[in-house]
Amino acid sequence: MSTIVLDPITRLEGHLKINVTLDANNTVIAAQASGGLYRDFENLLLSRVPKDAAFLTQRICGLCPVSHAISSAKAVEQVAKFTPSLQGLLLRNLIQGSNYVSDHILHFYHLALMDYVKGTQIHPWAPTYGKDYRLSAADNQTLADNYIKALAIRRKAHEMGAIFSGKLPHAANIVPGGVTAIPSAADISKFKSYLSEITTFITSTYQADVNKLASVYSDYYNIGKGYGNLIAYGVFDTDANGTKLFPQGIVTNGTVGTFNQSNIKEYVGHSWYSSQSGTNPASGDTTPNYGKSGAYTWLKAPRYNGQPFEAGPLARTWVSGDYKKGVSVMDRHMARYTETVKIASNLSKWISQIQVGKSGYTEIGTPASGSGIGLTEAPRGALGHWVSVASSKISKYQIITPTCWNASPMDDSGNVGPIEKALIGTKISDTTEPVELLRIVHSFDPCTGCSVHVMSPDGIEMSNFVIQPLGV
Amino acid sequence: MKISRRDFLKWSLATAVALNIELDMDRVNTVLAAETDPPIIWLNGAGCSGCTISTLNVTNPATIDNVLTSKISLKYDTTLMTASGNTAMQTLDESANTYKGQFILVVEGAIPTGANGNYCIIGEQNGSPLTMQQAVLKYGPMAKYVVSAGTCASFGGVSGTSSLTACKSVSTILNGKTTKPIINLSGCPVHPTILVQTLIDLSLGSAPAVDANNRPTKYYGVTIHKKCERREAEEVKQPGVYGCYKEIGCKGPQCSNVCPSMKWNNGVNFCITANHPCIGCANPTFPTNPLVDAVSGATKKVEKKG
Repeated sequence: MSTIVLDPITRLEGHLKINVTLDANNTVIAAQASGGLYRDFENLLLSRVPKDAAFLTQRICGLCPVSHAISSAKAVEQVAKFTPSLQGLLLRNLIQGSNYVSDHILHFYHLALMDYVKGTQIHPWAPTYGKDYRLSAADNQTLADNYIKALAIRRKAHEMGAIFSGKLPHAANIVPGGVTAIPSAADISKFKSYLSEITTFITSTYQADVNKLASVYSDYYNIGKGYGNLIAYGVFDTDANGTKLFPQGIVTNGTVGTFNQSNIKEYVGHSWYSSQSGTNPASGDTTPNYGKSGAYTWLKAPRYNGQPFEAGPLARTWVSGDYKKGVSVMDRHMARYTETVKIASNLSKWISQIQVGKSGYTEIGTPASGSGIGLTEAPRGALGHWVSVASSKISKYQIITPTCWNASPMDDSGNVGPIEKALIGTKISDTTEPVELLRIVHSFDPCTGCSVHVMSPDGIEMSNFVIQPLGV
Repeated sequence: MKISRRDFLKWSLATAVALNIELDMDRVNTVLAAETDPPIIWLNGAGCSGCTISTLNVTNPATIDNVLTSKISLKYDTTLMTASGNTAMQTLDESANTYKGQFILVVEGAIPTGANGNYCIIGEQNGSPLTMQQAVLKYGPMAKYVVSAGTCASFGGVSGTSSLTACKSVSTILNGKTTKPIINLSGCPVHPTILVQTLIDLSLGSAPAVDANNRPTKYYGVTIHKKCERREAEEVKQPGVYGCYKEIGCKGPQCSNVCPSMKWNNGVNFCITANHPCIGCANPTFPTNPLVDAVSGATKKVEKKG
C-alpha cells in the first residue's frame, strides 16, 4: 500500500487537498478530500441588516457571487413574504446566466483542459505532468489556441452581465426586492450583441472542443463515476409562479424523484467542528475545533436522507432531462456544455422579454422577524441560504454550497463524500504523475472558498421555519 | 479578441515546443524570453478569488492573454497554474529563491492568525501543512515588492470582520519585514486596471506615490462622488430609481476609487449607474454595518486602519 497526497489541487477556487491510498496494483482504495479554509461567515452576518447579506455572501466566492446574491435575496424575500416582479426575475436570470456562461467556459478551458492539453511551456502552464497527452499535435494546438480565445469570451460574458449588474464579479444591485437596474434600449441591444458572439463560440468552438476531448478520452465515461446520486435545487425562474428552466429534484438509481429540503442533514464526525451532528441547516450549531481526532477537513458532510449526493450541471441536466447519459468525468463535461447551450439560448428569450425603462426593483423595507430559505444553483451545483431575522437584524444565517456536497468528507455512518467516492477504484498508471486524480476532481469544478461552511452558534427550532416554496 | 499577432505566435510556438514540433531556434528563443518577464508569485489567503476573476477581466492596459504571455511571468498562481501538489509547492519555493529580491508578491485575501493560522492552509510543504500566515512571512521578505490585491489583503475587508479567525492585513503581518512599503490596491474586488498597471509599473522600477493607506494616489486620490455622473442629479430616497443616492447613504462621497472614470468590465457600467448606492468597498472600514447608512453615511469619516 502507498499513498499520494496532492496539496494544493490547483485550478480551482480556494484550497483543496486530496489524499489517496493505493493497493499493490496502484488502484485507489481510500480517498480523503480536505478543505483548507474556514472563514467564519456567521460572525460577520449576525446582527447585520438582512439586505446586506446579498452583498456580503457574494464575497464567499468570486466565481459564483451572483448565485449567492440571489440565494440570499430569495431567503430574505421569503421572510418578507415577497416575490419580485417578472422584470426583476428576468434581470436576475440575465445576470446569473451571463455568469454561468462565463464560469462554465472558464471551467472547461482554464481549469480543466490543461489536464489533457499541453499549453505553452512557460509559467503558469509549466511545469506540468508529461504523460497521457493523447491529442494529435494539430488538435492539441487547436485546443491550446482556443484556451486563449476562451479567455476573451468568458470576459465578454462578464461584460454582458455587468450591463445589468453594475459590475462582475460581485454584482452591485441584486437585492431583496429584485434588481435595481432600469434597462435602456441601448442596454438591450448591447446585451444581444455580446450574446451573439458568445453563442457562436459556444455552439462552434466549445462544442467541437468538448466533443474532441470526449472522443479521444472516451474511457473517462467510465472513470470517476461516484455514487450516481444527484441533487438539484432548481434555477432560473421563468415566471413568478416558481417555474424553473432547470427544475429541482433528486436522482437515485437513474430515477428522478422529488426534493424536499427538510431531508438535508449535516454531519461533522470527520470535520474540524465539535458541533452537534446530523442536524438540518435550520437547526445546526458550530464550534470550530481544528485538530479534532478523526477529522481531516473544514468541510462538513451534508447528506440527503442520510446519503451523499452529487451537485452540479450533470445533476441539473439529469433532472431536466437535457442530458442523462451517465455519471462520470466526461459526462460532467458534456452536461456542462449542454447546459451552457441551453442557457445561452434562453438568455436570448429572456432579453426579448425585458421591458425598456422599467426598474426590476420593488422597495420592500426590512422584515422585523421570521425565517426564510433561498434555494438556487451556483454554476457548480445546488446552493442554499437559510436565514432567521429578529428585531430587523440577522439572528441566524447558514449556507450549504455545492462544493460542500461534492467535496464533503466521510459522514458519521462511514459514507465517504461524492468526490472521494469518485476517486476510489481508479487505477493510477504512474504514481509520480497521478493525472487521473486531477481529471476526476476537476470534473466536479470544486470551489472551496465556496465550500466554506456558514453556521450560526445559536440553535433554532425547526418549527420556527416556514418550509414552503416562496413561489419563485 | 485583442491579441496581437506576435502574442499569438508566441503562444502557438511555445505550445509547439512542448510537443517537440520542428522549429527554428531564433523563434524559440523569442518564446523563451517570456521567462525573463517580471516574476510574479500570487498567494490566495482568506478570500473569495474575486480579485483573481477581476484580473482575468482586464482590458486596459492589455487583455489577460497579453499580460500572461508578454507582460509578466506568473510563477505561482493556484487558479491558473497547471502543476498541482508537490510540483506546485516546489515551483513556489524555487521561484522565490531563484528570483529573490526580484519577484513581486501579490497577496489576495486576508491572513488568518487564529488557531495558529490553521484556518487557511494553502498546501503541504515538506510533509507539513503550510498556512497562509507562514507563507506570507516566508515569502514576503524575499520579494522586491509586496502588493495587496483587494480590500481583504489591504485592510482585512469582509474576512477581517471575524474575531475567531483573527484575519489580518498584509501590512499588519509584514510590518517592518519588507524592503519596500507594501502597496495596497483596495476594492472588492480590486479594479483590474489598477492591479495590472501597478504590476507593470513596479516591474519597470517605478514605485507609485501613495496615500496615507499606502494606495497609489493616481487611483485613490479622488472620491467616487466627485467624478460621479449622477453628482448633479436629483437626490432620491431609494435605490432602483434614477438619481443621486447621497441622501440614502451612498458611500461615494467617502470612498476613493476609479469606478466613475474607468467604470467596470471594459467600461460597461458601475454600481451607481446600476442604480444602487456605492457600498464603499475600497474603504479601510469596509464592510460597515449597515453597508449603506442613510443617517450617518454622508458624514462618516474614513479612518485609517492597518
